[in-house]
Amino acid sequence: MKTYLFLLATLISHSIHAQEVKKVSIQASGLTCSMCSNSIYKALKGLDFVDKIDANIQNSSFEITFKTNSKIDFDKLKAKVEGAGFSVAKFIATINFSNIWVNSNGSVSIGDKTLLFTDQKGHELNGDKPVQIVDKGFVSTKEYKKNAVQSAGVRTYHATI
Amino acid sequence: MKHTFFVVSLLFVLGCQAQELFVFTEPASNMATKSFGMRLNNDFWENSGTASVKYLLIPEIMYGVSKNLMVHASVFFSGEDNHFNMEGGGIYLKYRLYNNDDVQKHFRIALFEKASLNNSGIQQEEINLNGFNSGFETGIIATQLLHKMAFSSGLSLVNALNNEDKKLPLSPKSNTAFNYTLSAGKLVMPKMYKNYNQTNINLMFELLSQFNPGLNKYFIDAAPSIQFIFKSQGRMDIGYRKQLLATLSRVSQSEIFIRLEYNLFNMKAH
Repeated sequence: MKTYLFLLATLISHSIHAQEVKKVSIQASGLTCSMCSNSIYKALKGLDFVDKIDANIQNSSFEITFKTNSKIDFDKLKAKVEGAGFSVAKFIATINFSNIWVNSNGSVSIGDKTLLFTDQKGHELNGDKPVQIVDKGFVSTKEYKKNAVQSAGVRTYHATI
Repeated sequence: MKHTFFVVSLLFVLGCQAQELFVFTEPASNMATKSFGMRLNNDFWENSGTASVKYLLIPEIMYGVSKNLMVHASVFFSGEDNHFNMEGGGIYLKYRLYNNDDVQKHFRIALFEKASLNNSGIQQEEINLNGFNSGFETGIIATQLLHKMAFSSGLSLVNALNNEDKKLPLSPKSNTAFNYTLSAGKLVMPKMYKNYNQTNINLMFELLSQFNPGLNKYFIDAAPSIQFIFKSQGRMDIGYRKQLLATLSRVSQSEIFIRLEYNLFNMKAH
């Protein structure tokens, strides 16, 4: 019995870890110049789970990859952009899904995070998918007002594909 | 005056690229949290009436306390009449009150407070807390960034005190003045951003004015400048300020200004 339980626990934990955040792409708003872009770049680089950042100064966007087995914190990424004096206009996480079924209320667990899909209820997700976070501070104010999602709690994010 | 407004209008029309790191004024934006900046400001004032030049060397440090609050501290060294003296220092606080960001756009409003101490002699009616007067200044700044153009305007109330034992030549009624500034900036280089090592070139044009209601006197200066940004971290500003109109007595009717600046972003990462 113990062996079965252990196997079951291993399977469950494996299935959770299999849903992996591969990269995050952030478009920042409120800036044009390379010095401003550099201040965001340096702020993001200061996070311990960030590995590499590919900055596109022209579009004020940053493609971020992470250290293996690190705890990726979306809120900390957002806070660094805001701390540099700017805002997040778009936040897209590329997540590797392995045959995961989005239940009828749209929620999926990704490690310590819960995603609440507004457009994927009852769908099976498989492979790398770009997931846009649509909570307050992760989209432009204009976009946020359009979606009008209420905060769902700590490490729970409203998302669309 | 007509000519100045023509130049400003021209900047607005031509400008599809600009910046807001103004040379003679501060924008409503703050520096990044936990960032540290160092400045070496060099002011060359041509003394009115005499042929001599007053040189002011103003080392300045800056720190971003939070996304909304930043602080500057500066020391004034004067190189007049073959002497080099420390004449005082200043503190400047800026608080970002309102922020509306969009992609490559923003509108921001900030409040600022400046306090300066100075021990130099005062002959002029103009109040200048940047190396000439002791006193306080409280103001508001609004800045609009539109792609690579930027426009900014500031209004402040400046109050002069005696420079230690050197008495203010103004009566208590006339030691208060209003400063009003208008700034426009345009990024001319690079046309396309590729990496952080590209040198940026910005052109600025500013109008700086003061009105003293107690004396019912004023001045209006025009201040064009060019700015180079190196490796997205260092900065060199070269500016020229020239009096357009004035009834207030002043130290100088023209100034050449050179600033060197270096920024360390996100101190923890260094």
